[in-house]
Amino acid sequence: MAATQAILGVQLRMIRRDPWFLVIMFGMPLVVMPLFVKTMKLSLQAEGFADASGAEQVVPGQVVLFGFMVSGSVAFSVFREHGWNTWDRLRASAAPPASLLAGFGLPWIIIHVFYQVVLMVVGGVFVGLRLRGSVIAEFLVILSYSTCLIALVLFFTASLRTINQVQAIVNLGAMVFGGLGGALVPREQLPGWAQAVAPFTPSYWAMEGHRAVFLEPGGLADVAKPVGVLFVATLVLAGLAVKKFRVDETKEFFA
Amino acid sequence: MLVAEGLTKSYGNVHALRGADLDVEAGQIVALLGKNGAGKTTMISIIAGLLMADSGTVTLDGFDAQKDLDRASKLIGIAPQLTGVYGVLTVRENLEFFANLAGVPREQRTIEAKNVAERLGLADLLDRAAGKLSGGEQRRLHTGCALVHKPKLLMLDEPTVGADVATRAQLIDFVRDTAAEGSAVIYTTHYLNEVEALDADIVIIDDGQILGRGTRDELVDQHRMQGIEFTMHDELPDSIAQQLDAVAVGPSTYRVSRQIPVGELIAGLGPLSDQLLGVETLRPDLESVFLAVTGGSLTESDDADETVGT
Repeated sequence: MAATQAILGVQLRMIRRDPWFLVIMFGMPLVVMPLFVKTMKLSLQAEGFADASGAEQVVPGQVVLFGFMVSGSVAFSVFREHGWNTWDRLRASAAPPASLLAGFGLPWIIIHVFYQVVLMVVGGVFVGLRLRGSVIAEFLVILSYSTCLIALVLFFTASLRTINQVQAIVNLGAMVFGGLGGALVPREQLPGWAQAVAPFTPSYWAMEGHRAVFLEPGGLADVAKPVGVLFVATLVLAGLAVKKFRVDETKEFFA
Repeated sequence: MLVAEGLTKSYGNVHALRGADLDVEAGQIVALLGKNGAGKTTMISIIAGLLMADSGTVTLDGFDAQKDLDRASKLIGIAPQLTGVYGVLTVRENLEFFANLAGVPREQRTIEAKNVAERLGLADLLDRAAGKLSGGEQRRLHTGCALVHKPKLLMLDEPTVGADVATRAQLIDFVRDTAAEGSAVIYTTHYLNEVEALDADIVIIDDGQILGRGTRDELVDQHRMQGIEFTMHDELPDSIAQQLDAVAVGPSTYRVSRQIPVGELIAGLGPLSDQLLGVETLRPDLESVFLAVTGGSLTESDDADETVGT
């Protein structure tokens, strides 16, 4: 626990010292959002949401899509310890693998939640996103998506040897999962096979939750299923990550 | 303080350690002397709990360090071979982080960080980002991070590799002071002058085995090389070499392990004596001890790849 707390603190400090990746990741969805609002408005109206502004699809969609890319940073923060030759120093603390992973994962859960909340608020200001349902329900959707993605990327981190492999998987995952999960376009517009596999992606469940509170006046009961699925997936993926993680394995940061 | 017995470790077919023993008392400096690949890093990695031995035991202050890694980690400070500090953090933040990681209470961290920085000549740089330090300063910070929790056993793996002369001298003084305060120190190196400067107990390791141990004077007395080395223009015919009891130790360089007058050598060489380029009497020093014990020279590894870690 002491190791987790120490690593968490120093990771947050390092992120504050070099925030440019996050600044860019904030900027990109903000550029994309206004471009698709009108198109998505028509799309949602065709689905039967007559008073939709389009922001209900675009803002959560971009948050889900770029949120996947942001989550890749947790892998970067682990791999760079190998590049900086500090990994063995962390290991010398005799902290168990779960403590080490928690030390790297927790700060990125905090940042990931912050990232989503800020983009939602900014989306409200700039493209008219309006919350129709419960704010607590929306927060739970955000939190469960963050924990699920960080656990997924920690599993990739535990399983893969080079940072290039992780980045390739994360980028691919963002596009494929985002597309299948309905982050790019409403999933009703996707082909049948894509709709069939969509529930196997975290993006799908995140979008389900977002739609329940942005398109409808959904409360905690309405997001219980997507939030529950994402939290269960978090536990499974975190468990697999801990099981797979070998602290003495050399990771290639400059591959 | 530390008793390591019968340590073995293999990586596939490569035997990095073959039943190595090592013990260190509080306040003692042990210099683990060996070529790159001799097994130095593997040995201290096992003691630090970074590697598990295939067999053997590590006892630290009377308990089994391999079975209680958490307790052992509080007693051990290790500075691995490659410099590992956080470039975006300041010197103070680096020191305080590693103190925190080792479980030093919050109020003590600031004090210990300042103390270590002062001892390593980094006091004026406490608020400078580690990435903006010189190579020597980073090396000193790297060493300081291993010491900030006041370990009873400090292990420094090739601490002066890549360091400038001033940093080397500073680190050696620091190690001596640390031992004088009661910590046991294991210092791996392949630099003989450092071993002599440390006035350490010397442990010679080669090919995963401990081949000798003692103070410099004890080892020189035990393994003093008698004899001469001579260099020829061309290689000697085997028959002449055998006749002189000369063993090749380099290209056209031969050693006779007894003192013989130059005249006797020239007579023994016969018509080949006009190819004799030079004769040197072997002096009793650590290099000759190392040669006697391991059959190889340390100097050939001085400029070798420092990242080799077995």
